[in-house]
Amino acid sequence: MIKFKKVSKTYKNGTHALYNINLNIEQGEFVYIIGKTGSGKSTLIKLLDGEEIPSSGTVSVFGTNVGKLKNRQVPLYRRNIGVVFQDYRLLPKKTVFENIAYAMEVVDKPKNEIRARVKEVLKLVGLTDKAQTFPKQISGGQQQRVAIARAIANKPKILIADEPTGNLDPEMSNEIISLFERINKEEGTTVLIVTHDLQTVKNFPKRTIQIDSGHIVRDLPNGLKDEIIPSNIEADDYFDTTAKLYLANAIKEDNKNV
Amino acid sequence: MFRRFFRHIKEGFIGVGRHFGMAFSSSASVTIALFLVGLFLVLTYNLNVIAKDIEQSISLSALVDYDITSQTTIDNLKKEILNIEGVKEVDFRSKDDEFTFYVELYPDVKEFNEYYRDRNPFHDAFLVSVDDGTLLQDVKLKIEKINGIDSVHDGGSNTYLLINVLQKVRIFGGILVLALTVLAIYLIYNTISITIVARDTEIWIMKNVGAKNGYIRAPFLVEGIIIGILGSIIPIAAIIAIYLYTYKISSGTLLGVFTLVEPTPFLVYLGLALLGISIVVGFLGSYLSVSKLLRNKR
Repeated sequence: MIKFKKVSKTYKNGTHALYNINLNIEQGEFVYIIGKTGSGKSTLIKLLDGEEIPSSGTVSVFGTNVGKLKNRQVPLYRRNIGVVFQDYRLLPKKTVFENIAYAMEVVDKPKNEIRARVKEVLKLVGLTDKAQTFPKQISGGQQQRVAIARAIANKPKILIADEPTGNLDPEMSNEIISLFERINKEEGTTVLIVTHDLQTVKNFPKRTIQIDSGHIVRDLPNGLKDEIIPSNIEADDYFDTTAKLYLANAIKEDNKNV
Repeated sequence: MFRRFFRHIKEGFIGVGRHFGMAFSSSASVTIALFLVGLFLVLTYNLNVIAKDIEQSISLSALVDYDITSQTTIDNLKKEILNIEGVKEVDFRSKDDEFTFYVELYPDVKEFNEYYRDRNPFHDAFLVSVDDGTLLQDVKLKIEKINGIDSVHDGGSNTYLLINVLQKVRIFGGILVLALTVLAIYLIYNTISITIVARDTEIWIMKNVGAKNGYIRAPFLVEGIIIGILGSIIPIAAIIAIYLYTYKISSGTLLGVFTLVEPTPFLVYLGLALLGISIVVGFLGSYLSVSKLLRNKR
């Protein structure tokens, strides 16, 4: 379903963000993408939702070559993808209900369908009673749930979340990840979560892809379940150490083969 | 289709209401610019009318050769002059008419009048008026070439200078109105740009859920038009009031010579023109600023 084939990305200012990425993600998968800041995670998402075009290689989603999409085709393609961000990005002057409905209005869904679907997703994210409140009247975790409800309102095939728990405490974070699990199971949506949050990745083990300096350094089918992570380690330090370890092992393997 | 159209209109109004401060400052900039546009429109239009009046009152006097006396030849000459491009009217004045005109003009020089009564030194003449002052010289040269015309007289080099000045004033006025309109567009573009940058989350959300650029742009265009219209109310009212007042206290003439354009229907057209300009200004200002933002993100 999602295929990165020898994808590299260099920005106009000369920054090399990704090198020769090969990646396959199947329909219905739940995947974490981890790595330190500036490792290339955000570029991966931008290539996926068509905001950026690869410098070389192909990104194909549902068989569509995303890099070859014309500008006017991008909006239609994007309707298959829901995106959630760390800062929620809700419209402060619209109610919870209106915020979710808005995503459906802009793609011209009929009123009845909007009403029914908004109720459905509100129930799914557990905010039925908050429908008429404004974003600032609810907690951060609840705001993130509204953002998730909005992202799935149009039933996208893929849901991408960029640091969705970045602003939340551990308890809220667990709630949000459980919600993603439910969406993944109940709606069959492929979920991609970009995160720094080691605890979450460990608590809800799923396939985990680690990126470092634009390279995929690890692709762990069972995630960090069996990994021993020191409790006081900073996420970036952990990513750095594991990436170096991977590099050392790779060099060792290479030497063996020689 | 209709549902979407009305939704855009509704969203446009809601947008103005929710960002009232921004809408107000945009409207204020339109108000100032449009007031100046309106003022110059009034001045240019009145100058135009005055210039046209002056130009049309300038006429050529084509003197007929002394030896031409037959009415048929005179009629033919008249036809020939009328056929020249740019000639508006040709009036025949016999030499007796000319003499009487002169006598009436200078009743004091009696002796002279008495002396010349039987030796009329005047020519039969045609008074030729032209459509446009700029054609005066051209028409003069063409009449001079006609057989049977002794000479053609105009008001001298001052006439051409006046026509030249009037022409320049008109062009200058037109450029000024255009420049002020562009300035108004720039002002509203700038203010709307600020309001739109402040609302990039909204645009970001629309983009991310797959709204097409046209859909994203539409409510902002409606907002721009509303801002333009709101901004036009004060200048339209003010200019109408100022004009009516000026017309009233001057009894319709400036410096006792120049006639001001009648308030109706002139002010109705002026109001409509300003309203039209405000709509275009609002539309273009928004269009340019939203497009700039949309271009930055695929």
